[in-house]
Order: sequence, then structure tokens, then C-alpha cells
Amino acid sequence: MKLTVWGARGSVPAPGPQTTRYGGNTPCVAITLADGALVVLDAGTGIRNLGLTLASEPQRIHILLTHLHLDHIQGLMFFAPLFNPDSEIVIWGPEAPGVSLQDRIARYISAPLSPVEIRELPCAMSFNSAPPSEWEIGPATIRAESIAHRGPTLGFRISEAGSTLCYIPDHEPALGAPLDPSQPEWISGYGLARGASLLIHDCQYADEEYEEHLGWGHSKLSDAVAFAACSEAERVLLFHHDPLHSDDFLDSLSDLAAARWVQYGGAPDRIALARETQEIALAGQLLGGA
Amino acid sequence: MATGEVRQKPIELILARNFLASLSTPSFLVDHHGQLVYFNDAAGALLGKRFEETGAMSAREWGARWGPFGEDGAPLPYEELPLTTALKQGHPAAGRFTVRDSSGRQHQILSSALPVVGADAFRGAIVFFWPLDSSRDLIGASP
Repeated sequence: MKLTVWGARGSVPAPGPQTTRYGGNTPCVAITLADGALVVLDAGTGIRNLGLTLASEPQRIHILLTHLHLDHIQGLMFFAPLFNPDSEIVIWGPEAPGVSLQDRIARYISAPLSPVEIRELPCAMSFNSAPPSEWEIGPATIRAESIAHRGPTLGFRISEAGSTLCYIPDHEPALGAPLDPSQPEWISGYGLARGASLLIHDCQYADEEYEEHLGWGHSKLSDAVAFAACSEAERVLLFHHDPLHSDDFLDSLSDLAAARWVQYGGAPDRIALARETQEIALAGQLLGGA
Repeated sequence: MATGEVRQKPIELILARNFLASLSTPSFLVDHHGQLVYFNDAAGALLGKRFEETGAMSAREWGARWGPFGEDGAPLPYEELPLTTALKQGHPAAGRFTVRDSSGRQHQILSSALPVVGADAFRGAIVFFWPLDSSRDLIGASP
């Protein structure tokens, strides 16, 4: 599988001269499977640029939403394929008590927040709660699991041809208790991340920033790296950058992450901070933008 | 490469455990089978063993170890415990009884059991204990 990062910023878009290298768009990662099928992880503002690259020919696109916080769905109604009558959009997301996934998304794609309603979109659109068991999209096997964040939130494990991507962009696994590798089944997200070829994981805060944001649902750098080491991920892409973090600050976090990763026995070139437009081929080499 | 076969516990139990680990209120966490999957340090102080020493236990195991017992000193049937009500009937329940710590000393306690229901499944129960004797001093329980 090949993936492209279309947005790696957390919370709110952060465009401007201070964020040109890592990017200011909120979460969106596109995966192209071996058969050409397109799977999109989250629909932050990055999905708009993805939509612009897609040809106008009919598309069947699966969008996997980790949760419905605005930074993960804000780009949805600006995604060009939604306005193509020949497109089929299949949305997967977390279950929540009493309200369907479609109705929850419609709170955003409806008046007064939106000029259009879901029923007015010309594409064929369907909504599915992610099932508790694995399911298949083309040649890929997908697994979803609830993880520690505020509100119903999923992480995803996507496997294809021996490669596995784990995507947990919003995650605070060390909230209330330190990560204990001796009891991994008690670590949120562990089963999803274990042995992944690539782990994309929340790293919103520098360690010194975390105290003021305890319980907000995001990880500090040392916890993100500890989680990656505990789960024995082969490669790590740290994600969901705080909107206040400039490119230069993120460069310094990248150095700290590499140093910590080395302390766990990892190679420094196997961990990085995600950058917009970055492309990665799993089971292959980094293609560019790293 | 490690495989992905190990599954995490249900997120509701993970978050409950992290919550209980932060409390000085003695408390148990049981899964939907009734297995004691965690008890916090405050419960450990009351019962004389830390969770790290015992690990998870079946209802039969922890019942034999600590009780509880009725006012006549006889073991209370599992079916009559507040915990069992929370697990089998799915609503909160409370009770008063005696437990025996690992040194054989008995303690009067109040117990309240609350069901833990996830988005798509019943997950288990949280049981809070409140010692009625001087063992409260062990956990600094003085509101």
C-alpha cells in the first residue's frame, strides 16, 4: 500500500509562513491499495486537496473516520468527489449511543453550519458504524478498536500483503496510569499497533506542555515514543501537531523523538514527524517529502 | 515483526482501571464474567495484598481469600453480592458485610457495585468499598 499525508495538524488548521514545511491542514491520510482502491483516513481540511487531485471519473472511496471532532471532519463537505454524481462514498466511523453516524455527521453538514444538506449531495453516500470484527476493503483487512480519547474514538489497523498500517491520530494512552509493557492488554491501542509496519500516532505536545493539557485526549512526546516502542512498531510517524507549533519547533521535537527512539533501541531514521504531502510506500522505501 | 493477535481489553475497562488506580477509595474492577481483573492500592491496603502480588482472580478465588461473610460469620453466596446484582441484573446495588484480610483480620465494610456498560456491550462492574472500622486509617478515608 502507498500512503500520502494530506494533513497532519491537530485541533484547527494552522496555515501561515511558520507552518509551510509540516503543513497546516488537519488530519487526512490517503491510502492507495494494491488494486488501486482508495481508502481515506479522516476528513480534516487536508481532504480538500486530496479531492482536487482525483480525476472526475467515477470513484468508489472509503473514508474511515476515527471520530467526529471537527478537525477530523471539517474538510468533508469540501471533498470534490461528494459533488460527483458518479462517485460512491462509503463512510465508516465510531458507534455512539442513540444517534446514527449519519445523523451525527449531519449536525455539521446542515444549516446553519453548511449551505448544503447530506441529502442534497449528488454522490451515492452510505454510513456504517465500524464493526467489532475485522472487515475487508478490496485486498485490505481493516480492524477498528475504541481507544483512549475524549468521546467515542477509533484507531484503525489496515493490513495488506504483509504490511500493516496503524493509525491512531488522537490518543492519550497514558492518562491516569503509566504505560506498562508487562501488561500490554491494558494499554489502549496496543492490539492495533503491535508490530505495525508503520504507526501513525498522536504527538500533540512537548513534554513540558502536557501538564496543562492533561486529559485533553492527546499524547506528549515521551508517551508517544514509549507507546511506539512498547508496541514494537517498525516505523513511526508522529502526528496531530499542535497548531501553535512552528516548523522550527517541530524540527526540535523531531530531534527529541529520534533521541528517545534510540534509547529504546530503534534506528533514528525510523521515526519522524509527519509532513503534509509526504508519501510512504509500505514494504518499500520512503518516496519523498520526508 | 510481532503479529497483531493480542487484543487490548475493552476501552471502558482500561479507562476504569486507570481511574481506579488514581483513587484512594478501595475498589475492584470485574469483567463481565465476574473475574476480578484489577483492584487498586487502597483495596490492597485494606485486604493486605497488592494487585501486583495476586494478579487477576476468579470470583471463587477471591471469595475464598477474602469473603465476604455475613453477620453470622458464614460466607455470603456469590449470588447475593452487590457485585453479582450489578453483573447479572445490570443495575447498581449495595450491601454491608465483613471481609477478611490476608492476615485473617476481619473488617466491616459497605460496598456499592456499579455496572459498566460500553457503547455496544456490557463490560463488567466497578465495586467501591468503604471500611466501617479503624482500617479506614489505612487509606486515609476521612471526608
